[in-house]
Amino acid sequence: MLELRGVRAGYGRIEVLHGIDLTVGEGEILTIVGANGAGKSTLLKAVSGVVRISGGSITYDGERIDPLGVENIVSRRLIQIPEGRRLFGPMSVEENLQLGGYSRRGSGSPVAERLERVFALFPRLKERLSQQAGTLSGGEQQMLAVGRALMAEPRLLLLDEPSMGLAPIVVQDIFTGLRRLNQEGLTMVLVEQDARIALSLAHRGLVMERGRIVLEDSAQALLDNPEVRAIYFGRRNAGYRRGMEKT
Amino acid sequence: MTFEQFLQYIFSGVTSGSVYALTAMGFTLVFNATQIINFSQGQLVMLGGMIAVGLYGAGAPLWGAFLGSVAIVVLVAVGFERIAIRPLLRKGILAQVIATVGASFVFETAAMLIWGRDAVTLPAFSGEEPLSVGGATVVPQTLWVVGLTIVIVVALQLFYRKSLFGKAVRACAVDATSARLQGISYSRVVIFSFALTGAISAAAGVMITPISFMGFHSGSLLGMKGFAAAMLGGLGNPVGAVLGGFILGIVEALGVGVVSAGYKDAIAFVILLLVLFVRPVGLLGAKMGNRG
Repeated sequence: MLELRGVRAGYGRIEVLHGIDLTVGEGEILTIVGANGAGKSTLLKAVSGVVRISGGSITYDGERIDPLGVENIVSRRLIQIPEGRRLFGPMSVEENLQLGGYSRRGSGSPVAERLERVFALFPRLKERLSQQAGTLSGGEQQMLAVGRALMAEPRLLLLDEPSMGLAPIVVQDIFTGLRRLNQEGLTMVLVEQDARIALSLAHRGLVMERGRIVLEDSAQALLDNPEVRAIYFGRRNAGYRRGMEKT
Repeated sequence: MTFEQFLQYIFSGVTSGSVYALTAMGFTLVFNATQIINFSQGQLVMLGGMIAVGLYGAGAPLWGAFLGSVAIVVLVAVGFERIAIRPLLRKGILAQVIATVGASFVFETAAMLIWGRDAVTLPAFSGEEPLSVGGATVVPQTLWVVGLTIVIVVALQLFYRKSLFGKAVRACAVDATSARLQGISYSRVVIFSFALTGAISAAAGVMITPISFMGFHSGSLLGMKGFAAAMLGGLGNPVGAVLGGFILGIVEALGVGVVSAGYKDAIAFVILLLVLFVRPVGLLGAKMGNRG
C-alpha cells in the first residue's frame, strides 16, 4: 500500500533521513520505534508531504506521491495525526471534527454518519461537542485528534506519538480504539517512544537510529528482543513519561 | 458640552469609527491568514474611494461605481499577494511586511499619477438632506456608512462561524500546518483573505468619500488609524477590530469636542502608544503566540 525507496529528507542543509526503505501492507499496523531525534517524526512528515524529500521515492497505491502537496496527499485519504495533536484549540470539538472531514466534503459518506462512527469509538466526544478543544483533558484531546482524522475516512493513518503526555490508563483507551479501527481494515503507521505499548498493538516493527532503519522484524520478535528491551523499555523512558502525565 | 453637542460628536465618531472598524478588519483578515501586518491597508481604502470617483466621473451610476471599485480593488489585492507576498513566503514575515510598505508607496504614487493631487469626492448615496435626531443632525450618508458596516460585520461573522470554508480560514489562523493536514489549501485561504480585505477596504473607501473627501495621500492616515483600532481591539480578533474601530472613532470625536480639533489625529496615536505600553494584546486579547 505504501512503499518508500531510499528516502532522504531533512531541514535546510541538515539531512535527517539517510535513505529509508520500507513497505506497509494493506490492513497492517507498522510501528516505528526509536529514541528522540532518530528521525521518526520526519519520516511521517515526509510521507504526508509536510517535509519535502530530497531523494528517493514514496509510492502510495501504486502512485508516486512525493511530488504532491500536502492537500493532494490528504485527499487520497492518507491522513496524519501530528505530534502533539495540533488541534484547533480555540474552536469547538464539533468544528474540529467538521474540519477533519474537509478533504472529503461533497464525497464519501454523509457527515452525520461519520460523526456517529467517531462517537461510537469515543462516546466522550459527543458529550463535549460544543466545548473548546483546547479545554479538553489530554486524553480527550487525543481522542479528538483521532476522531478528526477519522472524519477524513482514511485508508492509511499515520500516528505520531499518540501516547505522548498521557496517563497509562488513558493510553489504553486510545489504543483499544486504534485496535478496533485496524480490525475494521484501517492500515496504520505508528511512531512511538513507548515501544512496549506500540509494539503490542502492531504486526510489524522497525527500529530507527540516527535516520536509518537498523532493525526490522515482527512486533512479537521485537518485543522479545533483549537488545530492544534494554534500550527502548528502559526506566529513563518511564520516568520521562511520568513527568509528563496528565489525564 | 450640551447633550445635543454630545450626540453630534457621537454620530460623527460612529461614522469615522465604522471606517476605522472596516480598516482594522482588513488588518485582521490578512494578519490571521499570514501573520503579516499589511502596511498598504490604508492605501487599499484610498484606492476604493478614488476608483469609485473615477468610475462615477466616467459616467457609471453610483451603485455601479461602488461595485466596480470593490471588484477592481479585489483584483489589486489579489495581484499584490501574487506578485509581492507569495514569492517572499520563504523569506519570512519581515520581508513580507517590508513588501507591504513598498506596495503602499506604489499604490499612493499610482493614485497620484492617475487622479492627480487634488482631493475628490462623491455625491452622497441618497441625498444630502440632514435628518434631526435628538437635537443633533445626521446626514443620510452616516446611516449608509454605519448600516453597511453592520451588514458587512454580521455577514463576515456568519461566514466565519457557519460555513465550512470560513472555519477552514479560522483553522489556518490557529495552526496552518495542522490545517493543511486536514486537506485545507493554505494558499487558497491566503488569496481569499487578501481578496476579502480588498473588498472590505474598497467598500469602506467608497462609503466615506462623500463625507470626508479622498486624495492620493489619504491612505496612510486611514491605515494608521485602522492599525491603532486593530491593536486596541486585539490584533487578530475580528470582533476586537470592530470594537476598537468604534471606540477610536468616538474617543476621537469627543476629543475634538473637549480638547481641540487640532489634536484629532494625535488621539489615535496616543491610544496606539497606550495600548502598546499597557496592554499589548489589546482589549479582547487574542493570543499572539508563534505558529509552528
